[in-house]
Amino acid sequence: MRLPVKIAARVGRTLLLMVFAAAGTILLVRFAPGFFSDVREMDTKYAPGARSEMQAENYRQSTWLIASQVAKGWLDGDFGQSRQFGVPVSELVGARIRVSALLLAQGIFGGWLLAICGALPISGLRSDRLLWGLPFTILLAVPTAAMATACILAETGGPVLVLSLLIAAREFKFLHGLLERAWRSPHLLYGRAQGLSWRALVRMHILPNAAQQLCALTTLSIVTALGALVPIEVIFTVPGVGQLAWSAVMNRDLPVLVAVSLLMACVVGVAGMISKDIFTLEAA
Amino acid sequence: MKNRFSAAVLVLMIASAALALRLAPYNYASQDRDAAMAPSTARHVTGTDELGRDRTVRVAAALLIGLAGAAAAAAITTTIAAGIGVLAAFSPPWATAILMFVSDAFLSLPWLFLLMMARSLLPLTASPLETAVATFLVLAAFGWPACARAVYRGATALRSAEWMIQGHACGLQPRQLIRLHLVPHLRPLLLPQFLICVPVFIVAEANLGALGLGVGEPMPSWGAMLLELDNSALLARSHWVFLPIVLLVVVLLILESFTAEVENHA
Amino acid sequence: MRSLLRSSLLSASLMALLTVSAPCQAAPRQPGELAWTIHYDPKTFDPAKVDEQASELVRYLTGGVLLRLNRQTQEPEPQLAESFRVSPQGTLIVFKLRGGMRFSDGSALTSADVAWSLHRVLAPATQDPVADEFLSPREVTVDAPDKLTVRVHLPRRIIGVGKIFDEIAIEPANRPSEGRVTSGPFTVADYKRGQYVRLRRNPNYWRHDAAGVQLPYATGLRLDILNNREQEISLFLRGEYDLVDALSPDYFALVAKKSPQSVQDLGASLNTEQLWFNQSSAAPLPDFEKAWFQNRGFRVAVSQAIHRADLARIAYDGHATPAFGFISPANRLWHNDDLKYAHESVADANRMLLASGFHLSGNQLYDAAGHPVKFSIVTNSGNAARQKMAAMIQQDLAVIGMQVTIVPLDFPALIERLMHKQDYEACLLGVSNTEPDPTSMMNMWLSSSPNHQWNPSEQTPATEWEAEIDRQMQAQASSPLRNERKRSVDLVQQIVADQQPFIYLVYPNVLQAVSPQLRGVQALIVSPGPVWNIDAIRRDDGRDEKGSHQGGAR
Repeated sequence: MRLPVKIAARVGRTLLLMVFAAAGTILLVRFAPGFFSDVREMDTKYAPGARSEMQAENYRQSTWLIASQVAKGWLDGDFGQSRQFGVPVSELVGARIRVSALLLAQGIFGGWLLAICGALPISGLRSDRLLWGLPFTILLAVPTAAMATACILAETGGPVLVLSLLIAAREFKFLHGLLERAWRSPHLLYGRAQGLSWRALVRMHILPNAAQQLCALTTLSIVTALGALVPIEVIFTVPGVGQLAWSAVMNRDLPVLVAVSLLMACVVGVAGMISKDIFTLEAA
Repeated sequence: MKNRFSAAVLVLMIASAALALRLAPYNYASQDRDAAMAPSTARHVTGTDELGRDRTVRVAAALLIGLAGAAAAAAITTTIAAGIGVLAAFSPPWATAILMFVSDAFLSLPWLFLLMMARSLLPLTASPLETAVATFLVLAAFGWPACARAVYRGATALRSAEWMIQGHACGLQPRQLIRLHLVPHLRPLLLPQFLICVPVFIVAEANLGALGLGVGEPMPSWGAMLLELDNSALLARSHWVFLPIVLLVVVLLILESFTAEVENHA
Repeated sequence: MRSLLRSSLLSASLMALLTVSAPCQAAPRQPGELAWTIHYDPKTFDPAKVDEQASELVRYLTGGVLLRLNRQTQEPEPQLAESFRVSPQGTLIVFKLRGGMRFSDGSALTSADVAWSLHRVLAPATQDPVADEFLSPREVTVDAPDKLTVRVHLPRRIIGVGKIFDEIAIEPANRPSEGRVTSGPFTVADYKRGQYVRLRRNPNYWRHDAAGVQLPYATGLRLDILNNREQEISLFLRGEYDLVDALSPDYFALVAKKSPQSVQDLGASLNTEQLWFNQSSAAPLPDFEKAWFQNRGFRVAVSQAIHRADLARIAYDGHATPAFGFISPANRLWHNDDLKYAHESVADANRMLLASGFHLSGNQLYDAAGHPVKFSIVTNSGNAARQKMAAMIQQDLAVIGMQVTIVPLDFPALIERLMHKQDYEACLLGVSNTEPDPTSMMNMWLSSSPNHQWNPSEQTPATEWEAEIDRQMQAQASSPLRNERKRSVDLVQQIVADQQPFIYLVYPNVLQAVSPQLRGVQALIVSPGPVWNIDAIRRDDGRDEKGSHQGGAR
């Protein structure tokens, strides 16, 4: 009896988050500079066309009107027309979600694997942690675009690699701290004294102990990955949601932006839900 | 020992940067137009940038501005994250729900537009330093939500930990509890968060340059120098363009060794 | 320790796994296909709805037109029309079509299709920007007395017949197909948003080369939608792309080093880079600042203080030409060779400022009322050369005591400031001129136009010289005589050089990289660049040696 109520509460929270995100996005975009302008206005050749188009589309409507239109549209299952492409938003976003989701999944998986493979042995070392952690520190310092250029120049790697490296560099720092603490805990020292093998120690003591906090890191990790998705998709011209979001920002494409921030709210809500519920399950 | 060594390196870096600014015959804005992209010479030890400005002086100034700005912003944002996370963990359920909702909502909104609004509110003639300060403050104000959630999770786990209950039973004040139990246990989360924020903010400052925020011309921006590294044409012209990134790695290592020390003392 | 080793091996192999995916891959090239990039998605493939450059390029490559403006001679050449005749009053144009032409789907192309296409363009519902060039499109009538004759009746003479009909693609009557069925060299075959546009050869294209081989030579074109210069250049150097048009100056040397025979600097383009001050009386600026910007002496002094040669040499790596007027010397037909302008000189600039009521005190310039001269220059972010110019101008103006801040903005925010709020002090931006004819710049010069940047949409000209520019531009637009037109345009160039409403800085050079394997490419500095004679361009893969009849299509 209690489980359904709990699930309903979680879903309700995510929905509320989505409504909030949509409203916030409309407000932000509507009042950001440049909402009433079109890049073609400066081009002497296309300016008259752009101006008459803008008048026809009647952008100078009130925030209320936009919000109510968006709300009504969403209730009817109509996500509106993209301002920059003149295509239904659902068609635009739908095709891209798969690309981005795949990239995200691969990146997060690769990143965590790299971070764990790096952090587990290094945290076990007594000395020279700075030296062993140096590759990750360097990764932290290199901007995404420079990493992408390096990939292009080396003709290896791609968006998945760069996303993995970005996530690995960040997660490594957290993991390393957590694991180092775990290695030094009394029961582990006891286990070591008993002569348990390295692998047994990791399996039986370290991972179960750090699991809770690792779970807490998942949300952080997903959010980091989402943030990195935009520059990576833009730089590598991956036809995903991140690329769409960026061009929507640059063209003040309100319907697309609302759709993207709803997606974002959904992912954040679900991510929070998952980490919380894994938690409660474990506690049970 | 190690800690002292890194502190010495950091002090040395800052001192030599300040010294370079003071002693060099150029300031960071003066353009030697006959020596654009000059290689390393006696006049320009690390060469010049694309406009013929002395690289040593520019990197030195960028180091000081960027380090101060990014470190301050990272410290602020980590503190906010810690505050919100802990507050959420020890509040009544309704307050927790609200706090976590707000932090999730923060994550799902396109704040870029708020930054654009911030720029349109600042006067166009605001000095480069003013926009830089504004930018770092804004970054600090928006960097916390993701970490706050992790802190909240960590703090909730601690809330029900045995030693906390024992501490309670022993009659420890909440302040003592926080100092003795909570903060040490949250440290493995907060220190890396701080460390990660520093390079992220340095680059983010430069990215916001595209919106008219960040450190404006002619002031040198560390992030902008890092971002230039995506231009393979520039990379081919001089090896000194890698200087800013080498310095950033060194600074990160120093900060890391500080955090490691704090960790070991705990 | 062994496990440590194993673990690092594991992570190394994982890295290897991740690196397998290549960073940038163009879609596989089909045999005989040419490939290059466009920077963003075309908004439409409907040739009558084109209103931005990517769509215009696709229309150019696919649409069959009655007349094509020869980009090199600027003279109209017959295409689908075998010949055309304009009546002495200029109110009747008669086109005689070639016989036996067919659309790409095999259906016959007759005067009915032409008349239908013209009607569609002229109809107000279509909202085709070309319609405006007929001056009063509603009064234009089109009829087709026989299968090969089309007559266009105009209420009054129009200027630039060649250019107008160059932009009207002939489509099959009543079957608009968004470029899928065309009478030009190619048809739209496939489009993946954000990835590529693929064009296929039109098997029924009317044109043949001197040896009787049907054109176009290429079996298809692939326009990849790509906005990453690193990737574009890397793919070009690997031979995946056949050309890079609009190569940016900082990459010129890099590409030249790796592939010296492919890069070309064609000299000054028609485009200009300019700085201007906000002279609008509606601007939300303090009155004393408006007074500076409306002061001719102030503007001329700024112009004199800027070292244009340095801008060209440093910001453009030498690939730009200092500019003093709005018509580039590359535009030989219209450039005023006798233009007189104030030459660069800091001393003259200081004298000019003193004479205009400003005075220097220390390193800071003050106006007569004692206000320090401080202002900002807005520009768009993302243009490396322009940003460098801004920093150099900042330095040049500091020498005459002006304190300048540079504010790069993203385009929509910039446009809102420039066009809607006039909330800026000075602006550094470029104007791209796609055509040599000054009529295409009318929007910029007429004082009533919203694109009259320094003081847009004036009710009546604010100054006598702006009124004179209006008169001369109108005169040149309505006169059929080239000499008279040239005289008017020369006069406008001189007024602009005297008054400096726009302070011209440089003409960026046209830089391009063309694969040495391409045959038949002719250098061209106006749009659409190297692909203007696309039907005669072929890719020589080294296998076939039939390249002897290259460039035969005349």
